[in-house]
Amino acid sequence: MISKREEHLLSTLTETSGRFYRWIAVLLAVVLWGLYAYVHQLRHGLVVTGMRDEVSWGLYITNFVFFIGISHAGTLISAILRVTHTEWRRPITRLAEAITVFALCIGGPMVIIDLGRPERMLNLFRYGRIQSPILWDVLSVSTYLTGCILYLYIPMIPDFALLAEQSSLGAWRRRFYKKLSLGWTGSTTQWALLERAISVMAVVIIPLAISVHTVVSWIFAMTLRPGWNSSIFGPYFVVGAIYSGAAAVIFSMYVLRRVLRLQDYLEPVHFRNLGLLLLSFAMLYLYFNINEYLTMGYKFEGIEKEYLTRLFFGDYAPMFWTVQAVGVFIPALLLMAVLGLGRHQSFTIPGVALASFLAIVGAWAKRYLIVVPTLSSPFLPGQRIPWEWTHYRPTWVEWSITAAAVAVFLLIYALFSKLFPMVSVWETREPDAIPAEAEAAAPAPRGWGPISSIPIILITLTLAGASLAHAGETQKPRKPAPTALSLEWQALPADKLVSASPEEAPPDAITAGRVQHSLSQLFGQLHFGSKGGEEQKPPSAIALKATLKDERGAPVAMQAVSFSLRTSFGLVQYGSRPTNEEGKAELVVRDRRYGRYPVLVSYGGDEAFGGTRAEILVDFASRPTPALPTAGVLIAPYATAAIGLPFVIFYGIMWVVYLYAFGYLILWRMRRSGQEKHPH
Amino acid sequence: MTLPRRSFFQFLARGTGAIVASWVAMKGISATMFREVLPARSLAPTNQKWVMVIDLAKCDGCRDCTRACSTMHFVPPMQEWVKVFEVLDNPAAGRYFLPRPCMQCDNPPCVRGCPVGATFKRTDGIVMMDQERCIGCRNCIAQCPYSARSFNWGEPQHTPAELSMPYSMEYNYPHRKGVVEKCIFCPHMLREGKLPACAQGCKMGAIYFGDELEDAVTNNKGETIQFTKIAKRGAAFRLLEELGTEPRVYYLPPASRKYPTPDEKKALEMHS
Repeated sequence: MISKREEHLLSTLTETSGRFYRWIAVLLAVVLWGLYAYVHQLRHGLVVTGMRDEVSWGLYITNFVFFIGISHAGTLISAILRVTHTEWRRPITRLAEAITVFALCIGGPMVIIDLGRPERMLNLFRYGRIQSPILWDVLSVSTYLTGCILYLYIPMIPDFALLAEQSSLGAWRRRFYKKLSLGWTGSTTQWALLERAISVMAVVIIPLAISVHTVVSWIFAMTLRPGWNSSIFGPYFVVGAIYSGAAAVIFSMYVLRRVLRLQDYLEPVHFRNLGLLLLSFAMLYLYFNINEYLTMGYKFEGIEKEYLTRLFFGDYAPMFWTVQAVGVFIPALLLMAVLGLGRHQSFTIPGVALASFLAIVGAWAKRYLIVVPTLSSPFLPGQRIPWEWTHYRPTWVEWSITAAAVAVFLLIYALFSKLFPMVSVWETREPDAIPAEAEAAAPAPRGWGPISSIPIILITLTLAGASLAHAGETQKPRKPAPTALSLEWQALPADKLVSASPEEAPPDAITAGRVQHSLSQLFGQLHFGSKGGEEQKPPSAIALKATLKDERGAPVAMQAVSFSLRTSFGLVQYGSRPTNEEGKAELVVRDRRYGRYPVLVSYGGDEAFGGTRAEILVDFASRPTPALPTAGVLIAPYATAAIGLPFVIFYGIMWVVYLYAFGYLILWRMRRSGQEKHPH
Repeated sequence: MTLPRRSFFQFLARGTGAIVASWVAMKGISATMFREVLPARSLAPTNQKWVMVIDLAKCDGCRDCTRACSTMHFVPPMQEWVKVFEVLDNPAAGRYFLPRPCMQCDNPPCVRGCPVGATFKRTDGIVMMDQERCIGCRNCIAQCPYSARSFNWGEPQHTPAELSMPYSMEYNYPHRKGVVEKCIFCPHMLREGKLPACAQGCKMGAIYFGDELEDAVTNNKGETIQFTKIAKRGAAFRLLEELGTEPRVYYLPPASRKYPTPDEKKALEMHS
C-alpha cells in the first residue's frame, strides 16, 4: 500500500538529525532576542525605533506588506492550479499552502507590534469604523487567514488517517493524527465530500487572495501622499505579491528537496513550470514598475518632484536602482537563461532557486521603498527638526524584531515539516487510488447550511444632548438723558440674486428635483456622504433704523450715528450714517449671518447734544441645525452603507462558504458518514 | 439537448425577480444596519462653525503663537501643534512665513482613515482627538497632508501643572505615551468666550478667529472683521486647496507686507 517514495517521505517525520536541532536552536535564539527587543519597546515606547513624526511607519509596516505578499504564494497558486486541474501541482500544494498560513500568522501581528497602544487593540472591534482602510485590513486578513487554515487542513484529512495507521510513529502522535482525521475512513461518500469541499474552497480563495493584497495597498493608496496616491496600486501590489509568493514557493521547494531529499516528488519539471510562472510575473511586475514610475517621472509634477528626485537621484537612489536590478532584472535574465537556453538547462534547479531568492530579497527591499520614501517627502517638508526625523534609520530594536519575524516563520515551517508530510501523500498517488466513482457519487448541494452570523462591525451610539442656542443676553435699550436713540429692525425680502425659493424656481429645476427625489428613494442609504440636514438658506437683508430725538422728542437731524454688532469675540463696526430731517438713520445689512445678535447704535454727541446709545437684539436668519459638513466624504462617525455593504457582503459570503465547506461538508456530513461505518 | 425558448424566458424572468428581491433586501439591511445616528460627542456644545483667518502680511515669523500654544497645552518638547513654516512658492515671489495650525478640514482625511473614531469631526467644525481611544496606528499621520499631527513616541516629559489636571479631550493633556496629538482650536477657551491660545498670543494680530455663522472674525487686538469681506477682499486662500480637504483655516496672501520678510529678517539679524 505504501510505496517506496512514500516510505521515504514518512520517514522525514521521525528521522531528526543533529543539524535540525542546531538549526532550531539558532532560530529559537533569534526569536528570544527579538522577544527581548519587543519587551524593550513595550517598556519605553516606540521611541526606541527610528520612526518619528515625519517617517511614522518603517520596518514593521514593510514587514507586514512583505509577509502578506509572501502569503499569496501558496494558496493562490495552489488554488489556481487546482481549479484548472493542473496535474503537476500535486506535490507542491501543501508546502505552498503552509507558507501562506505561516506568513499570514507573522504578517498580521506585525501591525500590532507597530501600534503605539497595543493593549487597546480591541478598540478595533469596540469602536471600529468600516470607513477606515485599517478596518478593511482587519476584516480581510482575518477572513483570509481563516480560509487558508481551512484550505490547508481539508486536503490533509486523508493523510491524517494514513498517518494514524503508521506503526513507525509513537502512540501519542497517532492519537493526535486520529483526532485530526475527523473519522476519515476513505469511503466513497467521504471522498466525494472532500473533493467538493476542496474545490469550493479553491474557488473562493482566489478572489479572496486578490482582495487581501488590494486592501493592503489601499492603506497607502487611500492617502493623498505622493507616491501612494495612485490608482494602479491595487493590481501593482497583487502582481508584486504573487511574484514574491511564487519565489517563496520555489525557494522552499529547493530547500525541502535538499534537506528532506524529496527528489522523487519535487522534480525538475516543477522548477521549470514554476520558473516560467515566476518569469512571467517578473515581466508583469516590470511592466507595472515602468507604468508607475514613468507616468510620474515624465511629468515631474509639483509634489511628486521632491519624492522622485530622492528616489531616482537622491539618497534613496542606490537602494532603488539596486532593488530594480536585483529584484526584477537579474532574476528575469537568470530565469531566461536557465529556462530558455538549452545549454544552461542542467542548472535549472539551482538557477531558478537563486532567481527566487533574489526576488524574495528584492521584494522586501521594494516594500521598504514603497513605505519610507513617500513618508519622508511630505507636502510641507518639516523645518527646524532633527536630521534623523526626515532620514529614517531603523534601530537595533526594529532589526531584531524583523529578524525574529523571519526566524519565527522558518521555525514554524521547520516544525511543521517534522509534524506533517510536506507533500500530500494521497494527492501524489496514482489517480486510480482514489475511488473512481467519487465524482459520480457527489451528493447534490443542499443549500448553504445554517446562516452564519456575518461579522458586522457597527457602531450605534444614540444622539444625546441638545445644542445650546447661541443667543446674546437680552437688554432693554437704555434711556439717556439729553438725547434718545431708538432702534428698530426689519427683515427685507431676500435678494433674488442670492436666493431662489422653491416657488420661484424655474420649471426644469423642479423636474430635476423630482428626478433626484425619486433617485434618492430608489438608492436610499446607498449613497455617499452625510445627509447634512436642510440647505442653508441665505439670510435676508436686514434694515436697521435708528431715530435720534432730543429731550422734548424733536428729531435731531444731520448727525452721525454709528452702528455696530456684537459677536462672540468682538464688535463688527458698520461705520456711521447721518440722520435725516426726521432724525432717522438707516443701514441695510446683507451679511451671511445666522442667529440673534445685539446691534448697538451710538451717537457721539456734540456741543448741542449729548451722546447716547441704544441696543437691540436683531434676529438674522435662524441658525442651521448642527450637522457634520456635507463636504466630508466618508467621515461619518457611524458606519455608512455605501462602504459598509460591499465589505460585509464580500467577506460575509466568504464566511458563509467556509461554513458550508468546512462546517457542513466536512464536520457535519463527512464526520458523520465516518461514524456510521465505525460505530465504536 | 436544446433548451426550449420558453424555459429560457422563464430563467430571465426569475433572474430579474431575484435581482429586484435582493435589491429590496439590501435596502432593508442597510436601513437597519447602517443607522445614521450622530454620536453625542460629535455634537458640539454650541451651534457654531469655527473658522480661522491668518493674515500672512502681518506674520513676522516670531513664533509667539507656537509658544502660546505650547504653554497652554503643555505640548511636549519637539512637538509643535502650531508650526511656523518658511515658505518659498517660487524664487521670484520670495519667502514668507506661514503659521500652520490644524486645518480642521471639512473633509478631513485623518477622520476618514481613523479605524476607531479616536479622531472625529464635531458639528462646530473642530476635528477632535480622543487620546483615551487612540490605538496609535498612525494612519492619521499618514493621511494628513499638512503634517499637523504629532505622536508621543515615548513617555512625554510631564510638568506638575499638567498632571494636576484631569484628562479632557478639550485640553488634550495630560499627555500619554503612544497616542497622536494635534491642534484642536482650544475648545475649552471657546467655551469661556476667549480666543484660542495662538490667536491670543500673536503680537501682530495676524490670527483672526471667529464663527462663520456670525460672519465675524476677531484678533487679539479686538479688531473684528466680517469674515466674508476679509476673505473676499483679501483674496483668501486655503492651504493645498487642490486636495479637496476643505480646510477651515484661511490665509490672506502676504501682499504688501507690514513686517520684514524672512530674508530681510535674516539680513537685519546679521547686521545687529
